[in-house]
Amino acid sequence: MLLVHPVHEVLRQIPLLVGAVVVGSATGNSWWTVAIVALTIAFGVLRWFTTTYRIETDEVQLRTGVLQRKVVSLPRNRIRSVQTDARLLHQLLGLTVLRVSTGQQVRGDTEFALDAVRVEEVPRLRSILLADSLAAADQAEAQAPGRQLARWQLSWLRYSPLSFTGLAMILAAVGVTYQAGLGAILEHSRLAESGRDAAQRFGVVASVAVFGVVVVLASVGLSVLRSLVTFGNLTLRRDAEVLHLQHGLLRKREHTFDMRRLRGGTLRQPLLVRLLGGARLDAVMTGVAGAGEASLLLPPCPVRTAESVLTDLIADVNTVSGPVRGHGPAATRRRWTRGLVFPVVVAAGLVLAAAFVAVPPWAWIAVAALALTCALLAADRVRALGHRVDDRWLVARAGSLERRRDCIAAEGIIGWTVRQTFFQRRAGVATLIAATAAGVKHYQVIDVPAELSWSIAGTASPWVADSEWARS
Amino acid sequence: MSQRAAVTLVDPANPPSRKAPLVWAIGAAIPWLVLAVGQVVWFAVVDDRLAWAHVTAAAVTVVGMAVFVIVVPLWRYRVHRWDISPQAVYTRSGWLVQERRIAPISRVQTVDTYRGPLDRLFGLANVTVTTASSAGAVRIVALDSAVADRVVGQLTDIAAIGAGDAT
Repeated sequence: MLLVHPVHEVLRQIPLLVGAVVVGSATGNSWWTVAIVALTIAFGVLRWFTTTYRIETDEVQLRTGVLQRKVVSLPRNRIRSVQTDARLLHQLLGLTVLRVSTGQQVRGDTEFALDAVRVEEVPRLRSILLADSLAAADQAEAQAPGRQLARWQLSWLRYSPLSFTGLAMILAAVGVTYQAGLGAILEHSRLAESGRDAAQRFGVVASVAVFGVVVVLASVGLSVLRSLVTFGNLTLRRDAEVLHLQHGLLRKREHTFDMRRLRGGTLRQPLLVRLLGGARLDAVMTGVAGAGEASLLLPPCPVRTAESVLTDLIADVNTVSGPVRGHGPAATRRRWTRGLVFPVVVAAGLVLAAAFVAVPPWAWIAVAALALTCALLAADRVRALGHRVDDRWLVARAGSLERRRDCIAAEGIIGWTVRQTFFQRRAGVATLIAATAAGVKHYQVIDVPAELSWSIAGTASPWVADSEWARS
Repeated sequence: MSQRAAVTLVDPANPPSRKAPLVWAIGAAIPWLVLAVGQVVWFAVVDDRLAWAHVTAAAVTVVGMAVFVIVVPLWRYRVHRWDISPQAVYTRSGWLVQERRIAPISRVQTVDTYRGPLDRLFGLANVTVTTASSAGAVRIVALDSAVADRVVGQLTDIAAIGAGDAT
């Protein structure tokens, strides 16, 4: 523990250290460098000495800060989940970072994180911290050992080249390089010179093509690598009322979810992942952020795996994979008009332009391709749109580029909104929004026929159908 | 699917305060008047060439003012309705985009009253009923103060009976 803080402090202050080395070599006095490194390490050590935590009967407290003292305290009955996160250095030393979450959005400072506790202590700490919510579950666990719901397989990697994470990483790296002022150095380096020579020899088209292929290959490689490192060795285990998710090769992460706070799940299928028969699964839980890594249960994996896991969690096979009810001709018409407005406007502009100047033939081909793409997207949106409702579950499916199927527990819905824009009123459709305390807080059923919207709400929530304003 | 018989909800019964359109109109007029004064200054003090620019700006201001100071408050007054039963609170709001929102009182977490400067001048109040979901807050706007106080009392009385953590 005493080692982790100084080393991480040194790593965090690398820019400062670079500065120290530069100052040291410029003044010819290397004591500068030594002094700054020593100060950084001393600061790291001090951080360890000044960090304490305390677990009391009704709250947990974390005191930190060398110069600025800070106390974070959480009421224990508000603790919703406990996560661990071990970077490489932590793992080598048998340590891990333990994070306590209350489901509130917290940023850096107010986060309750015990940086570096021993791995052996985690089960004990977890059971103490979650004592209120998991006491019953622990007893059940003792009787029935956990069941493994899903295990990461190498073949899951086939979905990862289809994401933009690799490209994003490349762009970020380029940005950092230029910001650090290394761009100018690179431009005059021998590498750049030889590149320019090659470009002149092979012509512009060939070199642009080669550059494009290299970027695509690098992006695919990085995406796959990131996916492997982040999700490798993922296991999802269920012990009665507790869900354990573990993943990561270099940086090991472990989430514990309380099943009694589960209010459903979202199957997400980005277009390219869907074409290969894949899906990812997010949990809809109270006390866990709805988007991003906090709620992730399964990364892109075969759709059958995702569906079977969700079925296991919510114990209702029809909700997960049953057919949905379409939203009728008005909703279909709206998908088509929305999809085709943009290409029609572009085409009209082109026709107008053609009246005055000569329009190259490729422009017409491009517009035709755009129209075809938009039409296919609209058709796919129409096919996706639908809902399904009974007295236990609300299912909403929508989208093409980012298709999602939200399965929400009816008992978790604490409010309904029927929203109609001007055009929706004219088309006789409405957007029904179910408000819940879980996940992303609101789940939409888009463009349902207006006369059906309160029936859906009433089916899922009897208090709507029984209210004094209801008429059947 | 065990779909129940078709259900529709009739609109809530109570309109906001009679003074609501006036307050909304004044609230909307202030920024437009600032804009209009700015344009007059531009024309009279800074630069009176570019006649077309002045005419366009003046036209936009006049049309914008007419829409947001006269049309929108009256439209909103026609749409806005609210109602409270022992089980639920139900509102209708909006103008171009209209919303009807219902939330069960058993899940209510807080009941807030908000009075802005204009509201205080005209004796109005806005009541916000929040639930555990950030998407589920129900706002009843522009009530007469006395009505708002009664609503708050009624809501807190009913909500206090409920148990559970309202999620």
